[in-house]
Amino acid sequence: MYVELHVHSSYSFGDGASLPEELAIRAAEYGYPAFALTDHDNVCGAMEFAQACAPLGIRPIVGAELTLVDPEARPERFHLTLLVENADGWANLCRLLTEAHADTRPHPERDPLPPVLALASLLERNEGLVCLSGCARHGALAGAWERGEPRRAELVARRLVAAFGPERLRIELQRPYWRRDRARNRWLAALAERFGVTCVATGNVHAHDPSRAPLADALVAVRNGTTLEESEALRRGNANCVLAPPAEMAARFAECPEAVAESARLAERLQFDLTSELGYRYPGSEDPDADATLAEICRGRLELRYAGMPERPEAERRLEEELRVIRGLGLSGFFLLHFDLLELARDVAAEVRGPDSARALLPPGRGRGSSVSSVVCYLTGLSHVDPVRAGLFLGRFLNDEITEMPDIDLDFPRDIRERLIPRVHERYGRDRAALVSAFACYRSRGAVRDLGKALGLPPAEIERVAGIADVYARGDELERDIAEAIGPGRAQSPRWRWLARLAREAWGLPRHVSQHPGGMVLSTRPLVDICPVQPAAMEGRQIVQWDKDSCADAGFLKIDLLGLGMLSAVERCVESIAKARDERIDLSRIPLDDTETFEAIRAAETTGVFQIESRAQMQMLPRSLPETLDDVVVQVALVRPGPIQGGAVHPYLARRKQLREDPEFEIPYEHPSLEPILSDTLGAIVFQDQVIQVAMALAGFTAGEAEGLRRAMSRKRSEAALDAYGKRFVAGAVERGVERELAEHVFEQVRGFSGFGFPKSHAAAFGLLAYQSTWLRVHYGPELLCALFNEQPMGFYPPDSLAHEAQRRGIDVCPADVNRSGVECTVELRPGAEPAVRLGIGYVKGIAAEEARALVEERQSGGRYRDLADLASRSGVGRDGLERLAWAGACEPLGIEHGRAPRREELWRLGIARGSDRRGTVVRGEGGRRRRGPEHVQLALPLPLPALPDLRPLDPWERIVADYASTGVTLSEHPMELVRPRIDRELVLTRELPMTRDGSRVAVAGLVVARQRPATANGVVFMLLEDEGGVVNVIVPPSVYERCRLAVRTAPFALVEGTLERREGVTNLLASAVERLETPSATEAEVRHIEPPTNRELGRDTGDAYAAERAGRVPEGELAAVAPRAHSFGRRG
Amino acid sequence: MAESPSGSRPEVYWPKPVAVSADAAGAPVAVGDVAVEAVREEWLVEDRWWTPRPLQRRYFEIVLADGRDIVVFREPAEPPEAGRWFEQRA
Repeated sequence: MYVELHVHSSYSFGDGASLPEELAIRAAEYGYPAFALTDHDNVCGAMEFAQACAPLGIRPIVGAELTLVDPEARPERFHLTLLVENADGWANLCRLLTEAHADTRPHPERDPLPPVLALASLLERNEGLVCLSGCARHGALAGAWERGEPRRAELVARRLVAAFGPERLRIELQRPYWRRDRARNRWLAALAERFGVTCVATGNVHAHDPSRAPLADALVAVRNGTTLEESEALRRGNANCVLAPPAEMAARFAECPEAVAESARLAERLQFDLTSELGYRYPGSEDPDADATLAEICRGRLELRYAGMPERPEAERRLEEELRVIRGLGLSGFFLLHFDLLELARDVAAEVRGPDSARALLPPGRGRGSSVSSVVCYLTGLSHVDPVRAGLFLGRFLNDEITEMPDIDLDFPRDIRERLIPRVHERYGRDRAALVSAFACYRSRGAVRDLGKALGLPPAEIERVAGIADVYARGDELERDIAEAIGPGRAQSPRWRWLARLAREAWGLPRHVSQHPGGMVLSTRPLVDICPVQPAAMEGRQIVQWDKDSCADAGFLKIDLLGLGMLSAVERCVESIAKARDERIDLSRIPLDDTETFEAIRAAETTGVFQIESRAQMQMLPRSLPETLDDVVVQVALVRPGPIQGGAVHPYLARRKQLREDPEFEIPYEHPSLEPILSDTLGAIVFQDQVIQVAMALAGFTAGEAEGLRRAMSRKRSEAALDAYGKRFVAGAVERGVERELAEHVFEQVRGFSGFGFPKSHAAAFGLLAYQSTWLRVHYGPELLCALFNEQPMGFYPPDSLAHEAQRRGIDVCPADVNRSGVECTVELRPGAEPAVRLGIGYVKGIAAEEARALVEERQSGGRYRDLADLASRSGVGRDGLERLAWAGACEPLGIEHGRAPRREELWRLGIARGSDRRGTVVRGEGGRRRRGPEHVQLALPLPLPALPDLRPLDPWERIVADYASTGVTLSEHPMELVRPRIDRELVLTRELPMTRDGSRVAVAGLVVARQRPATANGVVFMLLEDEGGVVNVIVPPSVYERCRLAVRTAPFALVEGTLERREGVTNLLASAVERLETPSATEAEVRHIEPPTNRELGRDTGDAYAAERAGRVPEGELAAVAPRAHSFGRRG
Repeated sequence: MAESPSGSRPEVYWPKPVAVSADAAGAPVAVGDVAVEAVREEWLVEDRWWTPRPLQRRYFEIVLADGRDIVVFREPAEPPEAGRWFEQRA
């Protein structure tokens, strides 16, 4: 019998072409009793592999193929395959891998260096590991022989034998069907005999199926940054690197049957079980006083929080019940650890915010997720929502039967989070705290770019295909994208067809490791004994080699310290209100029944607020008409794949309507047992925890079983588990007297929910923030807008759309101004008028933060800039920066004060005033990046400037182009105002749509603000078009999308023809055609002068002549290049 | 193999058609009328799969009864070469 002991999965980045699960399934089909995963220099896929093997009846063997160097001998790197025999071996492998990665990030801003381990380290630390001598090409022995250095191989073999002994060293024989296989294996066998070591046969597998061999080839080219043609020597040369049945492998090694037999004997010895032998403990788990300490903290705080409140008895009952469950599960230390962490966050928040800040009133962070349902979390400050008053169900978070650590997610403003993460490293020790990994996986665009380059396709065409490809496109869709981008004829050429195939196969394979947004693991034992740790891309941060699923499978305590943009924006807003209006807002005390706020929510006047600003939410708000915070909580949870796929949305909306029309209306429940569970959501399953409760009530699941069902629904690798739960659900319900058909129907709703849904507690936390941000929008619009500008990127809308929407509701948004702007955007108080929002100097693209700061500080200390010469001489901004400011219009007020027409003239004058810059010396700036220091630039002399030549002012198009190119925001005309007169069609303005008859055929043109193709919408695409009057939601049916895909996907400006639909206060345009908006003359090629010719040069008397020349053309291409990109929201899965 | 030798490559390396008899497993047993004494190596080249002319060859390094050590390969069964054998200088 043969057992495969040398396998690379796709976690051998840029080498392996199959997921661990695919390998495990194929190995099971071939009848392997066990097999090993040995990825290059990592164990990223080891837990996933172990979990995949278990249900298939395969015993997983874990290990890795390490890259080593022996600096004392030769510089060449070589490979050794290490297999784990026992827990000591695992710990040693983790430490070795950690050491191999230790110096991979000497320059955090650059790509990491390949990991490498000194041979001496392995020779010192190898207990519990079995060493195989490595692959045929790069193995420690075979590689040296291939290079013609048999003596060198013998020296290494001698050292390996001395360190591992013949018991734990095997000479690896491989048969990749290369030219010198037999000779090499004969030599290796002879060497083994000389040293008294046994040989073992291995396959050096890189894919689960022969069809993936081309992808494995292409990935090698990608990894080496070259093409397939140029990587011939680096590739494997044939398709034999694929998992093969044991009998076929035995036949391949017919000349050395003992080596085949040894593979099985060795496999039998390697009994380490990754799923049960890690020995992980979290800090505080062994504290004997933890139960008492936690109870004391909670009871003390309950006295304060619930004093005199009617909820107190219920709160006390819930607290004691929770403490009982927590004691029973041995989790008191877990909660104390989080409590400790929050106290640390409190210190960090105080440092970041400062003692006198209006933000000081706010808690350091907020809970999200299911933990918000816990009264212990509420009392220890981990949640800001009172679960007793909110009626939150605990079971999803904590019950007697949970088998994995509960999740506590904490949201922090970005600035606090950035400071908190390194402090957590310090607090618990760098060897005991690390971030969780995330694996960036191939999607269509990345695959097209990487694999297209490997195939040697023209870069411009690759980019064109990537530009129009749907991020989530697979299969035929990508082939069509290619045909549309380069023409159907060329798309049929072999290379392009291969690109479509390879991109389809690569879809979903991990490409590289990165860091999870905020998940951290903490451990009492050094983490490096449990999972390898490697430096993250951000300086000072480190990550374990497992993603969140693997960490959960390992039973790690994972704390999510998440950065939430809206939380930062809300804090900025509160701070800004305090500064601008001298009002201190305590968001925890604002009225939760504010009439104006609810009116805005019901009218979907929610652009920029948290969660309920999206296109889909805005569509639903006028139909659901929320009246209370609880309604908002449901609303937040409703527009999610889970409730949508589970069919909850329409029943919920219909029943709300019926209840409004007839308060006596009785909600129809599928079964009487569901009424208490689903009454808040009018009989529909909206929250994740309702799934658990339904399973318990209808099918008799225990809390643990129901939580298992919930987990099966939310994880990618549990389709089979979900089926099994379905059978148990139906059987359990039938046993309790429920009709089978009804049970199956309810389970279908449950299963439909498996896309993604919020637990109620999470929705409660988010719903509150949605309400608070709407309240701020209604009462402090300028301050919220300013905060949103400063926290970009975030939310559904680009800043340009936020600005236009704010202008439409009367908020004055002012451009950057060297004499008025701060570094960031600011709120300007104006006597007798609403405050305005002023763009910051730092908002001008390309202005270095140091330059913006220097400009503002100089103005504050030395007074306003009098003119351009003064600006150039005092501000410390270099020539490039000054030009950018001029293009952005930030210097216009200087020109206006002197009665001049701006921008182009300023640029001319700056050229004189600034002269040529002497470049500063190179200094290390923020994040260790190298830059030229403006402080070393000699300031220009404030010389009087010569008279201006006759320069033509920018025409409106040029101004808009300059605005978008410089700040991404245009504040004067809407681009559509300029396009509209040139469109030879009858168009309807969005503001006219409410007065247009339902069912009318109309054409609307506008800037595409967002496009969305939700997985839940059966191929329907949604677009949000903005014109000078507002926005309209466009529904593009699949048939129209098929006809007009290119325009729908890529047009920055679109013209849509269709039928107007108005239902329950919601207006949509049902598209019948979508075109890219351009006039025939826009396709003319145009030579752009960096400095456009003056009128004199053009031989014209006035500037109007040049403008007249341009008037016949719409520089759509020019504008499209700089217009803000529509936010695209693609499909999941 | 219908492709002509490239200008930069000496013609001496270019494969030449050769008559080979093979056994049921596809291994050569005779070249012309000279028996194969031993198969020293056997390897596969599967490359250029992304081009209009993919390469798929099964190579053998053989020792003939007359003492010669030569390398032969067989093209795949599909046209244009349809399973023909070639001798190539090593």
